[in-house]
Amino acid sequence: MLLLSFWVLGIALIVAQTTLLQFFPLWTGRPDFVFILVAFTGYRFAWIPGITLAFALGWVMDVVTGIHLGFYPLLCLLTFTALKVLTSNSPVKESTYQIPLVGGSYYLVQMFFYFVYSLILPEELPEWSWSETTQRTALIVISAVPLFLLFNSLFEYVQKRRMRSKPPRRRQRESL
Amino acid sequence: MRKKPKNRVRSSFFATLRISLLISVLFVVGLLLLGSMFGGTFGTPHQLTLDFMGPLQSTVTRAATGVMAFKNDYVELWNVRAENKRLQGLVDKYLTELGEYREGYSSYLHLEQLLEFKEKQDFNPLVARVVGKEPAYWYQTIVVDRGKSDDVLEGMIALAPGGVVGQVIHTAENYCKILLANAPSSAIDAMIQKNRIRGILKGAGEKGYVLHYVQKNVDVSVGDHIVTAGIGGVFPAGISLGTVSVVHKKRRGMFQEIEVSPGVDFQKLEYVFIDPTDRKKILRDMVPSTER
Repeated sequence: MLLLSFWVLGIALIVAQTTLLQFFPLWTGRPDFVFILVAFTGYRFAWIPGITLAFALGWVMDVVTGIHLGFYPLLCLLTFTALKVLTSNSPVKESTYQIPLVGGSYYLVQMFFYFVYSLILPEELPEWSWSETTQRTALIVISAVPLFLLFNSLFEYVQKRRMRSKPPRRRQRESL
Repeated sequence: MRKKPKNRVRSSFFATLRISLLISVLFVVGLLLLGSMFGGTFGTPHQLTLDFMGPLQSTVTRAATGVMAFKNDYVELWNVRAENKRLQGLVDKYLTELGEYREGYSSYLHLEQLLEFKEKQDFNPLVARVVGKEPAYWYQTIVVDRGKSDDVLEGMIALAPGGVVGQVIHTAENYCKILLANAPSSAIDAMIQKNRIRGILKGAGEKGYVLHYVQKNVDVSVGDHIVTAGIGGVFPAGISLGTVSVVHKKRRGMFQEIEVSPGVDFQKLEYVFIDPTDRKKILRDMVPSTER
């Protein structure tokens, strides 16, 4: 249920990102909603649903926008794995660090993929721009605040529903 | 105590599963990446995904386009409204200007006509501006801004490019009153220009004139010009009075009744020319009458 809800939300975000955001003027920027969602899954999801969701969304995004297939799922999986490893049993998991960490991971992922691209497909790369990367990162950080609120709300709502739908006996046993 | 090993076994199993899933997914992604880079294939899963996403994107894009179009139309509507207001203001301004220009042009044409008329006259007419009108039926009069100070005397005639206007009946120092030729109390010796048949042209108010005392056997038709006959010494001969509009030939009586439409539009009079040439004669006529 949780996976399906977030998958539907992810699809909606991809659709919004690839359609609605294109109507906005360039100066408003176009944040990567999917990246923010993948980062969120890194914080809140378990390994198996997280990997599944990250891969599924990366796949769809790749199909919809990618030129060289595979890059976006790879980006999603790497982001998810990195954040998952970093936040597991660590104080970094606290909500205070979540948003800055999204920005930081985005910045690093950008640099990493630029590096990878420069090795594999150097002729297709635009010139690296620190200012542009910083702007995009800032946009991700700004957009992450309301989106994290939304994701958290949905996550908690689905969790509560799941808890309610569980039989009382089992719940009792679990609480014990 | 027995449960712990079970838990450990379970957790190690899940950890292995996680790692193997991650590795297998990464392997698939790697394969995809390599395949797309070197083979460039867009396989069935990709196609299915795109076919799944396409309608969603299409729907959202259409909806967004509709919303944007509506928004743009709405914004345009605001602009159009503002533009409309601006243009309406301009239209009003230009219409006012156009009215002024038309009036100016009309005045120009009128003045040109007056000048032409003035130049044609063998006398030196006195131009007078109409400052007042008396619309009453029985007293068809106008007031002009010339009076005794301009040597205007009672009995002088007033003309316009269209013909006879009337006769000065009252004078003040700076203004005088003219009895219009179409006043019911006015009677002018007139003649039909084409056959020189004479009659008396009487004023009929707004209807113009009626020409009396023209015999039935006289050939008169609509459109014939009526001019002053020059009898009586008030109006010189040959000044236009108007044209025949209707001819009534009654069974009884020996005369026909001829309606004449004035050559001068009395409603639109702005300037008149007062003829001063007969002034001495009028004065001469006035002397015996005063002596009497």
